[in-house]
Amino acid sequence: MTIATTTELICFLVLSAVVVIGALGVVLLSNIVYSAFLLGGVFTAVAGLYLLLNASFVAMAQILVYVGAINVLILFAIMLVNKREDLKAIANLTTRRAVSAGVCAGLLALLVRVVVTTPWSLPGPPAVGEEATARIGEHLFTDYLLPFEVASVLLLMAMIGAIVLARRDVLATDVVTGEVADQGLIEKARTPLLMNRAE
Amino acid sequence: MTVGASSAATVAAAQRFQAAMPDMGASLLATQAMAAPGELLNLSLNASAVLPEAAVLLAMIATLLVDLAGEKVATRWVPPICYIGLGSSLVLLALQWNAPLEPSFLGAFLADNLAVAFRAVIALSTLLSLLISWRYAEKSGTPVGEYAAILLAATLGAMLLCGATDLVSVFISLETLSVASYLLSGYMKRDARSSEAALKYLLVGSAAAAVFLYGSSLLYGLSGSTSLDTIGLALQSSTTPLAALALVFVLATVAFKIAAVPFHQWTPDVYEGSPTPVVAFLSVGSKAAGFALALRILVGCFGAFDDQWKLLFTVLAVLSMTLGNVVALAQTSMKRMLAYSSIGQAGFVMIGMVCGTEDGFAAMVLYMAAYLFMNLGAFACIILFSIRTGSDRISDYAGLYQKDPLITLGLSLCLLSLGGIPPMLGFFGKIYLFFAGWANHQYLLVVVGLVTSVISIYYYISVIKMMVVKEPQEASDVVKAYPDVNWSLMGMQPLRVALIGCVAITAVGGILSNPLFQWANTAVAGTPLLQQAIALSSLKGLG
Amino acid sequence: MVSPGLDLELSFSQALQGFGFSPEVARLLWLPLPMLLVLVAAVVGVLVSVWLERKISAAVQQRIGPEYAGALGVLQPLADGLKLLVKEDIIPARADSLLFTLGPVLVVVPVIISWLIIPFGQNLLISNVGVGIFLWISFSSIQPIGLLMSGYASNNKYSLLGGLRAAAQSISYEIPLALAVLAIVMMSNSLSTVDIVGQQTGAGILSWNIWRQPVGFLIFWICALAECERLPFDLPEAEEELVAGYQTEYAGMKFALFYLAGYINLVLSAVLVSVLYLGGWGFPIPVEWLAGWLNQPIDAPVVQVITGTVGIVMTVLKAYLLVFVAILLRWTTPRVRIDQLLDLGWKFLLPLSLVNLLVTAALKLAFPVAFGG
Repeated sequence: MTIATTTELICFLVLSAVVVIGALGVVLLSNIVYSAFLLGGVFTAVAGLYLLLNASFVAMAQILVYVGAINVLILFAIMLVNKREDLKAIANLTTRRAVSAGVCAGLLALLVRVVVTTPWSLPGPPAVGEEATARIGEHLFTDYLLPFEVASVLLLMAMIGAIVLARRDVLATDVVTGEVADQGLIEKARTPLLMNRAE
Repeated sequence: MTVGASSAATVAAAQRFQAAMPDMGASLLATQAMAAPGELLNLSLNASAVLPEAAVLLAMIATLLVDLAGEKVATRWVPPICYIGLGSSLVLLALQWNAPLEPSFLGAFLADNLAVAFRAVIALSTLLSLLISWRYAEKSGTPVGEYAAILLAATLGAMLLCGATDLVSVFISLETLSVASYLLSGYMKRDARSSEAALKYLLVGSAAAAVFLYGSSLLYGLSGSTSLDTIGLALQSSTTPLAALALVFVLATVAFKIAAVPFHQWTPDVYEGSPTPVVAFLSVGSKAAGFALALRILVGCFGAFDDQWKLLFTVLAVLSMTLGNVVALAQTSMKRMLAYSSIGQAGFVMIGMVCGTEDGFAAMVLYMAAYLFMNLGAFACIILFSIRTGSDRISDYAGLYQKDPLITLGLSLCLLSLGGIPPMLGFFGKIYLFFAGWANHQYLLVVVGLVTSVISIYYYISVIKMMVVKEPQEASDVVKAYPDVNWSLMGMQPLRVALIGCVAITAVGGILSNPLFQWANTAVAGTPLLQQAIALSSLKGLG
Repeated sequence: MVSPGLDLELSFSQALQGFGFSPEVARLLWLPLPMLLVLVAAVVGVLVSVWLERKISAAVQQRIGPEYAGALGVLQPLADGLKLLVKEDIIPARADSLLFTLGPVLVVVPVIISWLIIPFGQNLLISNVGVGIFLWISFSSIQPIGLLMSGYASNNKYSLLGGLRAAAQSISYEIPLALAVLAIVMMSNSLSTVDIVGQQTGAGILSWNIWRQPVGFLIFWICALAECERLPFDLPEAEEELVAGYQTEYAGMKFALFYLAGYINLVLSAVLVSVLYLGGWGFPIPVEWLAGWLNQPIDAPVVQVITGTVGIVMTVLKAYLLVFVAILLRWTTPRVRIDQLLDLGWKFLLPLSLVNLLVTAALKLAFPVAFGG
């Protein structure tokens, strides 16, 4: 084993451990701020895995998009609404946790079993390396042009929708008749569905 | 028949089809293989296949631009822009009918007749939903421009989903549809139930999307390609347990989108909380896109797992028909009743998919088209009633006959058609489905379908009875205080047009259903994907 | 086209192999050297800028500034550093000690890693990675997490507000910054910093990108100042409103890390401006021409050493010119309000940088010769 492969193996093990432990931490920790920070760590470690696969552009994009944008926004949201609220105790919490842990463990066992028994066609195509950036661009403007363009529609629409939902100035009156608008319009007197459930 | 023999037969058939269609397969494989740098840039994209979507996109952008000029201008100009966009989209779709098939975007999109048919259903459902929503949006004080833009974006996603033949395109268009749907269902943001519906839909939908992505990643790992054709070929040569797992994941997402039991939990709450015109779109357009996706992925990709997914779909169909129709019995809210009945209707459509025969697929397409008109007709009536009275309870419809014969007549005809009473359009659709099922020996499905149809007729008729049979003094308070019928307000005329149009087609379409039958059969005949599957299953039937 | 120039790694590796080491071991021994060098260079760069800051601010305010520690007070920053190093390391009682410690680290590490891609000459950089400038953009996006972390962990409302402001500011200005860089990348057809400079070497000062991207240059410079939280954009630590923002509770070495990160970032941004817009290591008159006039072959060892030295000197000189401008700006401009800051970022710089990008693309199509066809 050469020095290069040893280094690669060590890096892989460390990164994988960070990913797995970090992801468990995201799910299991009760402090949501810790979860959010750990999520950033997981994203970064995944970027490291991409680097090991010789996909540096993807790795950098992962850091820029997931760590730099998504994770920061998650943290923002958490810190802006950082209300310490004591939630109502949920009945049979231990049983519920045990059940969901069992389901997850079962799913994991199934996946591991299936993945191990599958004859993967290894090794895959060789890594493109430094040329990858140009090749990604080429694919984005040829066979993945349609999804690429639709993604822009998706983002535009999501942005508009977010603004519509977040802004305050909903029309108070009907533009045509000038009557007071009726936001509930149907079944005004009902309580939210969740409350119905709780009864 | 043993498994080995069947898989050998499928492989042989697949090879035969591969030989029969060398041009398509070869070009697809060439794009997905590691092409030399720059080589891809010289290939033709055939982008004209998405011209109908381009019309929708242009309408969306025009809507947003007009909306910049203020709410008054938007109220005036947004409707015509939407009509023009969707109308030209429908015209362009008509031009694509039976056109020579060429994969566009190097295998990301295919405008075969199936795609054209489903896209037409979706575009039409958006058009009708928009017609019935102007007055509703005005009255609820929500901005019209953004509403139309988001609905058009959802249409765009749904239409692309129908023709997408690449996992990445499938996922992105699915997300466009889903995200737009979340936004639409939360559009009445002052109403807590609308926000709650949006949040629930978002959470469940994101989970479904994540599951789909996981399944797609497994498929990519197995085949080394994102093209559905290549994946289908790869799965035929290796029917590993991993592929079965991928099937389960993908199927779960498809079932979520078409709201099949047990993936239906989001439906009633979302349908009740969302604005009613949005529910109309979700129950038709979004569902049609879900069925198109199901056909593309399950029939096109998982041909090797035919028996497995058909078994799963049989279970889903039986559960959907039973639960949807039985629970609908107990509902007091009109919207919620239609939500559950739409679950049951999806179950009927699934019969056609399980058959996998020419008739089965044609019946699916036909029933989707029929469902479009009868369901949107029913929704138009409900919206009109709620605009006038602000109520949605079934008991409030009592004695409506005296005050508003139009709603009573329209709603009665549409509900009868939904229940499958001759000579309505729905009857022919349903009978075709059951006929296809019976011919394919799906006795269980057909029997369950028949029984649940009877149940559904019961609750549909009880609404009609409520409206028609009650004496004037028995009428509900809401109906007693019924306002004067006034069509002059902005947005009322389109609503009237949509209502009368849908009801007319529902009522007369049944008698003149021959063109529809032909249309559905051509849709199946002009789709290589379905022809291939039909040939395979008939081959298996013989073997 | 351009001569390969000095290749120190190759020489070093050959020298070690002469002593009987295997190539792999030689590479392993080589690896830490440039990193160490850059770390030292960055720290020295910071010390120089701190001294400059003190002296220039004094000059602006007609004071003398530090004068006792060394000649002209050049040792003053060193004394400052030493003071911070030996100060007591305080962690507030109700603070989250783990995050409190991790915050400054997360702020300083990405900035130092970004030095990977700074070229001082054709081969004088640590790693000519293909993603080049993109690495800096993505690593600088990690910084807000560190700021949010320290703001949150301090358990102090000023700190939290400062952290949130810093993150908001950083996100807002990253987008126009990246778009400005994208325009450059479009002209050079490469993300690599070496290629970006290489594309500006043809005709000396005339071929620098600043003439082709004047708007991009201004956008980049404004955004870089905002990213470094320099006045007029130093809202996260605005003393009058937030005490010292996210740094409020920090003392000793942890505070020094923030301080260090700020100045390293400033120097880094200045170097990047010189790389992207001012021809990087290039001399205003191309060295090749000079060598040609002096009848010296371009690959002669002496010329190569001179070229390398000139490259380093030019890069440092250009960078410090920009640092000087930044310091002057700090001591002469008033601070903007937070809403003005966000308005400037989202409503002015973002559309402007988009237009700049589109105009560049159009020009590239119209005049491929001048805009890197």
